Amino acid sequence: MSGPFLVLYGLFFLAPFVYSIVLSLRNPQTDAFAGLFNYRNVVGNGEFWSAIVRMAYFGVIQVTVMIALAIGLALLLDSPFIKGKKVFALAYFFPYAVPGVIAAVMWGFLLQPDLDNALKVPHALGLTSGAALNPLSYRFVIYAMMLIVTWEWAGYNMTILLTSLTSVPREVLESGRIDGASELALAWRIKLPMIRRTVAFITVISIIGTLQLFNEPVILNDIASIGSSYSPNQLIYNTAFSFGNEQLAAAQSIVLALITVLATASFYGIMRRRFDPLGLTRKGRR
Amino acid sequence: MSIALRAGIRDPNSAGRRARRTHRTKTTVATGLAAVAAVYVLAPIYWLIVASSKSTGQLFSSSTFLPAGHLSWVENFRMLFSVDGGYFKYWIANSILYAVVTAALATAVSTLCGYALAKYRFRGRRLVLALVLGSLLVPSTALVVPLFLLEHDSGLINSYQGVILPLLVYPFGVYLMSLFVADAVPDTLVDAARVDGAGEFTAFWKVSRPLLMPGMVTLFLLSFIGTWNNYFLPLVLLGTSTRFPITVGLSAWASDLNQAGAGQPLYPEVILGSLVSVLPMLILFPFLQKYIARGLTFGAIVGE
Repeated sequence: MSGPFLVLYGLFFLAPFVYSIVLSLRNPQTDAFAGLFNYRNVVGNGEFWSAIVRMAYFGVIQVTVMIALAIGLALLLDSPFIKGKKVFALAYFFPYAVPGVIAAVMWGFLLQPDLDNALKVPHALGLTSGAALNPLSYRFVIYAMMLIVTWEWAGYNMTILLTSLTSVPREVLESGRIDGASELALAWRIKLPMIRRTVAFITVISIIGTLQLFNEPVILNDIASIGSSYSPNQLIYNTAFSFGNEQLAAAQSIVLALITVLATASFYGIMRRRFDPLGLTRKGRR
Repeated sequence: MSIALRAGIRDPNSAGRRARRTHRTKTTVATGLAAVAAVYVLAPIYWLIVASSKSTGQLFSSSTFLPAGHLSWVENFRMLFSVDGGYFKYWIANSILYAVVTAALATAVSTLCGYALAKYRFRGRRLVLALVLGSLLVPSTALVVPLFLLEHDSGLINSYQGVILPLLVYPFGVYLMSLFVADAVPDTLVDAARVDGAGEFTAFWKVSRPLLMPGMVTLFLLSFIGTWNNYFLPLVLLGTSTRFPITVGLSAWASDLNQAGAGQPLYPEVILGSLVSVLPMLILFPFLQKYIARGLTFGAIVGE
């Protein structure tokens, strides 16, 4: 019964992936076998690595802020102090249904000083010198992008956490309340530890997503000319389709895949040591 | 005496009243915080609705979050469907076509495979599961660039099938469905059907499929939204404007905004087009939210 899936998987996943590896070992000019020629080019390609470093910087800040926001909002909506919980949950989740391209267009226009008169206010008041504040200038655009990506995915992650919180046994919370624990203490000491694996899961998915950022830098480049090698996937796309060097692009995407695996594995490594479900590290330290 | 009275014997109602008052304060603060976050989420949507009523001139001159004096919706709508060869109507139709066909077929394929993974212990089952999970780690460019070359050589490029077929490979859907099957269909039920002489497929169709309907609805919605929102794959595989989905079409308009010599910049059309592309979901989302949320959460929690 898994026949149809396996056939499609073979044709449209495995075959392209294997072809990607084959392609990455070929000479871009002659298409003959070239060993690690393209990989040596990737290693020495400053643009590629600065895109990786840029996304690492982006990810460290954006993923942290977004996960913290998602946890905060989920715990807030799970507390007994919220009126209109369902309306808030619906509103937060809505950006999931907005295409990334549309989100980037929307925010891109909203953050453009020409279109957004509110951005001219600090300048008019003399709070900024020189030109009006431009969140899409090269210096600030990375933060604008963090704002956009957080907008797109914070609610999605909040939704997963909120449903996950329903698995926290109500009796445990009740007995905590009877013992006089504040809601804040309950959230921090009981609820959060019980959903930590879900937190780890959504963090991993977010890290993978950051390394694969494509829509937002492409659209913001259309609106504000931030360059065509801002993110690794955008650079690879342009290597293949603007410069016609599919071989180098294939090598770049394989290296990106390896970096993704490495980032995911090291995150899990850190998590394992921090939370240490088997208590092995603690014993070792003693 | 009076001091002891004041300190010791409190009116029993006052403590309750104080607790109620603190509760009310906390509710105000908490709901206020939630409302601030809601403003962050809803402000751009509100802006999109307001801005879609403005002409290019009004966009640059009127106040950002308030409608201009004259509402240009009718003019903008007319322009949206006539400008640039009237491509926009094709883009809507294409987006619907890609999303509906992909979601229906991907749901069928993923359900069958997820069912097999959950109910049969065949050789290589663990390998298949590892492949499914591992594929989440492969960057889209590692697939799309070679896919472009393969489809180019096989003539699939720039066709509807060329976009739909790769999207039918939905590893997360398979994974989700295998979890869902394990949860919703007891082994004993399938065994009972076999004992009654049902073939494997009849057992699936008559006994298991009805139990799996909620999961399939969720899967359909996830795949529908994923396809509707997809940009990278159609961008690479399609060259003809009449085959574009909305995302690719609008990004083509957006990329002309800053280009000298690209003609009249299409600000109102891009903005109204964006609104049109999110409007169906904006309306349907309250009804679909619980199905979608359940699927995402199921994958995340059971995946531990």
